[in-house]
Amino acid sequence: MQPYSGIRILDLAHWLGSYTGRLFADLGAEVIRIEPPGGLPDRERATAGTFAFLNASKSSITLDMDGAAGFNRFLALCGSAQAVILERDGPFWDRAEALRTALPGLVVTCVSPFGRTGPMAEAPASDLTLQASGGILWMSGRIEAAPLRLPFGQAAMVAGTYAATATAMCLRDAERRGRGHLVDVSAQEAIAHSLQNAVQVWDLEQRVSVRGGEGTRDATEDVFACKDGHVFLAAPPALPNSWNGLVGWMEELGHPSGSALRDTRWTDREWRKTQAAKDAFRKLFCDFTAGLTREELCEGAKSRKIVMAPVARLADLPDDPQLRHRGFFRQLDGHRFPGPPYALSEPVWRVAPAPELSQATAEVA
Amino acid sequence: MKPDFLNDIRFTDLTWAGAGPFGTKVFSDFGAEIIKVESTVRLDSVRTGGPFKDRRYGVNRSGYFASRNTGKKSFTADLKTKAGRALVHGLIEKSDVVSNNFGPGAMERLGLSYDEVREIKPDIVYLSMPMYGENGPLAELLGVGMTISAVTGLMWATAYEAGDPVGPGTHYPDHAANPYHAAFAVLAALRYRQLTGKGMKIDLSQVESTLNFIGTAVTDWAITGREPPITGNADAHAAPHNVYRTRGEDDWLAVAVIEDRHWTALCDVMGRGDLAADPALSTADGRIAARDRLDVAVADWAAGREADPAAAELIAAGVPAAKVASARHLIESDPQLAHRGYFQRVAHPELGDSLYAALPFTIDGERIELDRPPLLGEHTREILRDILELPEAEIDRLDAEGALK
Repeated sequence: MQPYSGIRILDLAHWLGSYTGRLFADLGAEVIRIEPPGGLPDRERATAGTFAFLNASKSSITLDMDGAAGFNRFLALCGSAQAVILERDGPFWDRAEALRTALPGLVVTCVSPFGRTGPMAEAPASDLTLQASGGILWMSGRIEAAPLRLPFGQAAMVAGTYAATATAMCLRDAERRGRGHLVDVSAQEAIAHSLQNAVQVWDLEQRVSVRGGEGTRDATEDVFACKDGHVFLAAPPALPNSWNGLVGWMEELGHPSGSALRDTRWTDREWRKTQAAKDAFRKLFCDFTAGLTREELCEGAKSRKIVMAPVARLADLPDDPQLRHRGFFRQLDGHRFPGPPYALSEPVWRVAPAPELSQATAEVA
Repeated sequence: MKPDFLNDIRFTDLTWAGAGPFGTKVFSDFGAEIIKVESTVRLDSVRTGGPFKDRRYGVNRSGYFASRNTGKKSFTADLKTKAGRALVHGLIEKSDVVSNNFGPGAMERLGLSYDEVREIKPDIVYLSMPMYGENGPLAELLGVGMTISAVTGLMWATAYEAGDPVGPGTHYPDHAANPYHAAFAVLAALRYRQLTGKGMKIDLSQVESTLNFIGTAVTDWAITGREPPITGNADAHAAPHNVYRTRGEDDWLAVAVIEDRHWTALCDVMGRGDLAADPALSTADGRIAARDRLDVAVADWAAGREADPAAAELIAAGVPAAKVASARHLIESDPQLAHRGYFQRVAHPELGDSLYAALPFTIDGERIELDRPPLLGEHTREILRDILELPEAEIDRLDAEGALK
């Protein structure tokens, strides 16, 4: 038995909604990609890793979708399902209401760049432009350069996760009360929901949170170079142990940056958020880190309760002692594969390779 | 709409700061009863972190706290006292979910380990979300949201160029991956309980959760043996694809030419028939080879324009484009969000009519209306009376002995 045993989800997503079905599939739902004979567009567009990750544990069938007969074939399939995931620019996007009318108990989740309504409903979009219109692109980067996007397709990850939560909420209601729902997920809104406290910073204090953290982030909270790479440090006044541990360590080693950071100006929380403070701190701290490796720094930080961590690259991950200890990485199709986002005390999370086109036709039919 | 989808569910919610409360908030928004256990002795760090109404500090004046705790009830108890802990035990007995995002060992020190909680409520759904997981050599590592970005590779990959990491400008994992993976897991566990009668423990390592948010890249690297290239705002498979400066003080335009038709449309809008006619640029490979030159062409065009009309012109021509929006722009000037009623004002005794982002979806065409966040300790007495069924005299006695701080 798995949490979503007995649930069948027809998955027509090809980008922003792809992760939604994946989350359900690992926990026991039968998630079936419904594809035109040539496959959904992600079979061509997505990289091998993207496709494998977002479609693991799903199956696939092909369906002749043309014309009224095609829709009726799809509708017949929906009769055996509890939920359907539609995505803009994919099959049957404009038939959500028809599905709801024909099958009042069905949950129909519609995922799109801007939602089903409004002046932008049909507007073209990409990961980059969605990060721009959702406000997250504005938040990263250096102030003297352009705003910087987050890597690795975050628009789809954020939208897909919200869509999964909303779908799960609606499935619960459909099972309890027999009433289906239409969920309209906007990727722009999902991204705009992830802006830390920027909405309130504007509403309550009329300040604009901006890349570089001028005025909002302490000088110590940043990435710094060291002898063999980079570390992340956080030692703001709100984390006094971290700050005192750091300055004490420098003094212990007789490093001049220690006494410089005892200067009273470092007790001024507001000044510490200025560009001048950021520049001054970077100079003092990097003087200290230049002779130390990531490992030396992080070891020393750990025993002194300083909030510091190595900036890892993907190739470092297999050697992360914590991930090794917990057996995070799995093997799938002969390759290393990320383990679950949550470790569950019941053995209910399972992952299987993403399906070839039409891999499950026999079983579903 | 005010959904009642979860009106049979109660949380004893010990989460605090950002990521935990953001994950349980969606349950109160959907009608569950979320009892937020807090204390005046150890205040939730986002109650003391800003922004504050009128920039004036107060435990009920933080917008950050407000945005993470809509619709919850606040119950104060001093968990350092035996009586305070006993009250929490009483609440757990009448709850479906117990949630926390403390570091490893903290729940044990409070006598609230999974095993102990299971003795109180055998089918409990128990959510823990420590940064690096509850066990292992680095479990005790201290960190903030950006620490998670650092150790997962997300910080390394958020960069203009390889070897010079910048990192996300926010504690990004706290605001997307971790709260919503947690919410999804709790919903799954509730269905599992429905099917089997069994609860479960969810150990959400925020690092492992975030690694799934970059799982596409991790899997690409595993399959090809090569780390994905660090491209900044560019794209390995498309060009031009960048963020260009426009007129205005700090205004920028994102443009993404993914398909050949986007390219011809962009040339049209820019009035660059010469580029459109160049056969070397008619394929993505050709444009990628000429990436720098094409970036200059688009940058020249954008430099003389305002970002919003430039984006509108490109969108009308079918090219993915957008002004790089600040939070202020989203609130005041985004016609799409305005049309869909994304931002809501909610009345609050100390914050006034303050602004909230709605959940980023509609259900049956309607927005979920948010209820205001609680004042510190606002519901303590009501909960003691109605849920724990304590007489007034007993509540007064607990208050006098300091258990309700």
